[in-house]
Amino acid sequence: MSAPTADATGGTAADGDRRFGRVRASVDPVRLLALAGVAGLLGTFLSVLYRVSDVAGDVSTFLLVAVGTLVVATVVARLVPERVAFGLAALLLAAGAYVYLAQLPRSVAAEETLVLFLNDGIELLTGLSVLRIVNAGLWALAATPAPTFVAWYLALRRRYVGAVIVGGAMLTLFVLTSDAGGALALLGVVAAAGAIGFGDVERRGGDLATAETVAVVLAAMVTVALFISVVPTGGADPLDVGIGTDESTVESSLTNAGDSVEILGSIRLSPKARFTVTSTEASYWRVGSYDRYTGSGWIRTGADRPYDEQLRGPAGESRTVQQRYTVESELTVLPAAWKATAVSESPVGLFEQPGGGLGPDGELQPGDTYAVESERPVASAQDLRTAGTDYPDRIVDRYTGLPDSTPDRVGERTARITANADNPYDRARVIERWLENNREYSLEVDRPRGNIADAFLFEMERGYCTYYATTMVTMLRSQGVPARLAVGYTPGQQVEDDSWVVRGLDSHAWVEVYFPDQGWIRFDPTPAGPREAAERQRVQQARQSGGTGVDTDETRNRTFTATPSPTPTTPTADGSGPNAGTTPTATPTTPAGNGTDAGTVTSGALGPNGPDIASPGGGGSDEDGGIPQPTREQTVLGLVVLAGVAAGVHRSGAGSRLYREFRLRYQPRTDDPAVDVARAFDRLEFLAEKAGAPRRPGETAREFAARVGGDGPDERARRLATLHERARYGGGVAAEEATEAVELADGLVADRPRID
Amino acid sequence: MSESPSTADAAAAAEPTVEAAGETARTVIDNVEQVIVGNHEAIEHLVCAMLGRGHVLLEDVPGVGKTMLARSIARSFECEFKRVQFTPDLLPTDITGVNVYNQQTGEFEFRSGPVFANVVLGDEINRAPPKTQSALLEAMEEEQVTVDGESYPVPSPFTVVATQNSVERDRTYDLPAAELDRFMVQLSLGYPDEADEADLLGRVVGDHPIEELDPVATTADLRAAREATGEVTVEAPLREYVTRLARYTREHAQLGVSPRGAIALLRGAQARAVLDGRDYAIPDDVQAEAEVVMAHRIRRSAGEGTGAELVAEALDAVAVE
Repeated sequence: MSAPTADATGGTAADGDRRFGRVRASVDPVRLLALAGVAGLLGTFLSVLYRVSDVAGDVSTFLLVAVGTLVVATVVARLVPERVAFGLAALLLAAGAYVYLAQLPRSVAAEETLVLFLNDGIELLTGLSVLRIVNAGLWALAATPAPTFVAWYLALRRRYVGAVIVGGAMLTLFVLTSDAGGALALLGVVAAAGAIGFGDVERRGGDLATAETVAVVLAAMVTVALFISVVPTGGADPLDVGIGTDESTVESSLTNAGDSVEILGSIRLSPKARFTVTSTEASYWRVGSYDRYTGSGWIRTGADRPYDEQLRGPAGESRTVQQRYTVESELTVLPAAWKATAVSESPVGLFEQPGGGLGPDGELQPGDTYAVESERPVASAQDLRTAGTDYPDRIVDRYTGLPDSTPDRVGERTARITANADNPYDRARVIERWLENNREYSLEVDRPRGNIADAFLFEMERGYCTYYATTMVTMLRSQGVPARLAVGYTPGQQVEDDSWVVRGLDSHAWVEVYFPDQGWIRFDPTPAGPREAAERQRVQQARQSGGTGVDTDETRNRTFTATPSPTPTTPTADGSGPNAGTTPTATPTTPAGNGTDAGTVTSGALGPNGPDIASPGGGGSDEDGGIPQPTREQTVLGLVVLAGVAAGVHRSGAGSRLYREFRLRYQPRTDDPAVDVARAFDRLEFLAEKAGAPRRPGETAREFAARVGGDGPDERARRLATLHERARYGGGVAAEEATEAVELADGLVADRPRID
Repeated sequence: MSESPSTADAAAAAEPTVEAAGETARTVIDNVEQVIVGNHEAIEHLVCAMLGRGHVLLEDVPGVGKTMLARSIARSFECEFKRVQFTPDLLPTDITGVNVYNQQTGEFEFRSGPVFANVVLGDEINRAPPKTQSALLEAMEEEQVTVDGESYPVPSPFTVVATQNSVERDRTYDLPAAELDRFMVQLSLGYPDEADEADLLGRVVGDHPIEELDPVATTADLRAAREATGEVTVEAPLREYVTRLARYTREHAQLGVSPRGAIALLRGAQARAVLDGRDYAIPDDVQAEAEVVMAHRIRRSAGEGTGAELVAEALDAVAVE
């Protein structure tokens, strides 16, 4: 019966090709399972590369490369011995590295290639996301062929361990770079274990029944990983979808987020005072910007550079702003008005981020002070309208990209909304106003799956600054306007004419749009009134509950009034600009500026009582969202568990026992009398099995029937055995005899005679 | 019990049915048991072998009634019975017969040997050299005898009952495996138990009962019974069961049961079914005949146990439906 798989018993390496050809002819299901394991492992790291391509490259090219590699590996595996194949793989690797290096921007390529590689490697392995690589799309294309080829080639040659080592190394790389999440990593590990397990079963010539053991082990792996977490924090839970924990505040998610921003669900405001700033004018105290949008968050690509005392100012006209900051509680960022040109008296070293922001090389302690000189762009609306669209290539490359998976409807709706605007500035203004007017401000948000901007534009009704800013950048980029997400602090509470106290809750996200010859200009699509109302309420709550660090000496006895956000650096009141009236979807009901009626807008969102503005961790999602949708990884892991449970049930025989237990009591009739008799006799056999005296293999029906019955053989059993013999060996039985057999079995089951 | 042969003849010859065949067989068995005491099973096996067109090898110590058994069976069937005592100097022609020159006609004419009978008893067959033994082989397998290039069919029905002593093995010629394989069953009678032996002694005082044994069936009855036996239904599951048994012995012994042995087992099972009055064979029939049909065909390495033990093992291990 296992003749087609006889080749599994082996043969020498010399006849490997012949063996291979024979296997093709008859597909061994265990081999298919092993290959599926390797394919699953490939799928995990290819899915990471796919995502990278989606965000920062071209998906169709990536798919072409990946599928092409798989096809080539499949063909090569049948024709080419291993040494040649490995040479081919090395060639692929070298070609990928060459293509990647050749396309590097000049500025980066100037460094020594080897140093560059080493630096990149170290940074990647220490948790730097692949997406932070400037040319991540190209990197993905270059990194795809070699490991994919080798792993699939080895899998087809039955070298499952080798295949898993190659695939596992790639997955490990992405786990270290934190591009592969817990669920994906678990999926990869399960797939790898499956490949090796099934491969081993195949090598030993096992059949599907043996493979069931492996399925059970895989299911156990997933289940154990679910319930036992080595590290007792949420981070160890591989199936944790909820991004955002109890500690999520706007500040921690934005200004302290480092190189990448993950967009969260519901969020809180921290009332702690962060710093006091004395400045010649109010401004947004900016800490950084992000250029790469991943659909679910933001990433700052490129590497930091040491600060060299003097930074360039904006390209257009500007006004100098002098600021002095006094730190009130620990800061890991360096707020400064855009665009800082010089920092003095800094207690720690500084570095310059890609995108022009500054960061401290260490932590600023309470009491530290530093001074910043900034050049604030003062371009007029007219200047910006006429700035044109002659963007430099490096700006277009870096600041107009969107994930390939961004739905077309985002661009279509943006085009409709901005139909009347004929230049980038007007477009930005219309989008800004449209978002202000059509979305409500709320900190309580069910984080959507998939593309945040798309969801905020089409499905959500409310959100907070991150959502507004992300959506606006996406809309602008869909129209080819270079834009980026900026984060920092709003001016804060004014305590003197030239002094402001800034709290954690003042942290904010806004949009910067690039204009040729003018540089980056700030836009803020978040409605200011509701935001300030929320901030005011939080401060009052914190004061009432006696929170420490809420106030500085200056603020203690004042009622909190946030400084109205300075109008975005450009004059906007001029009537010649596209106004709300020209936007077809604008609604006039949204509060405009000072937030007298802002309370009504935000009260529902903030909740009437309780110390927390919003229930953290997305607790509200169960109430209104219904059943949460599982992610793809969770679905696959769930299927693994299901398959394992099914295999386990099958293996333990519990399923068939249950089935027979049912069939013992109820026997459905068929058209075939022989089947009816056989089933009736089966019931008698099962009775004996339950009585602890099962029918032995070599025991004939007669001998068996003679054992049924306490005092002397049971005539019904003998008759049933005779009918069984007739049905089986005597050329069949008539329908009446089948009925008789079923009735005999019914009687025996009802009586439960003794069986020795 | 002493049914007149003519009526039995008429009934059986007219209709080769299982009922009639079974009746014939049971009558013969009862009849033989008047002479042979305490060997019911051996008698049944022997009758089964005759119904299944097989030959019988009786191996036992001297004096337990091997010859007597063969003679009573032959007598009960009212068929021609001849006996050959095998000795080292016995020649093949002593069995088959010879062409002798007839001086009156001036031609050679065939004078048939003892093999031309319905039941041939070959006593102590292992005392004769292989050449002589093989003279019997052709008759057993082909149901014909060839002398000087001329073939002569033996009478039908034709059954060889050979005996051999299990003691005094020196100066004997063991039957080769090929020859053993042609015997459908090998039986041993064994000593009767105490009561049976006393009974036996009581019977032989005065005239030996075999002298008074009446025939209860004719050769025509036997032929009809054989025909009916051949008609007994053997369904696929039973054939598979027999095949699995045979394969089991092959996998667990130096020399297992040959396909010829498997065929013999099926025929034996058919005959068993006839004895039971059934027109289909069941695994119980196979199990009843398995040891006598298969054990003598198995060769095991020294220390592995006997063929009979392996057959018992196979019956336990091979699953039956």
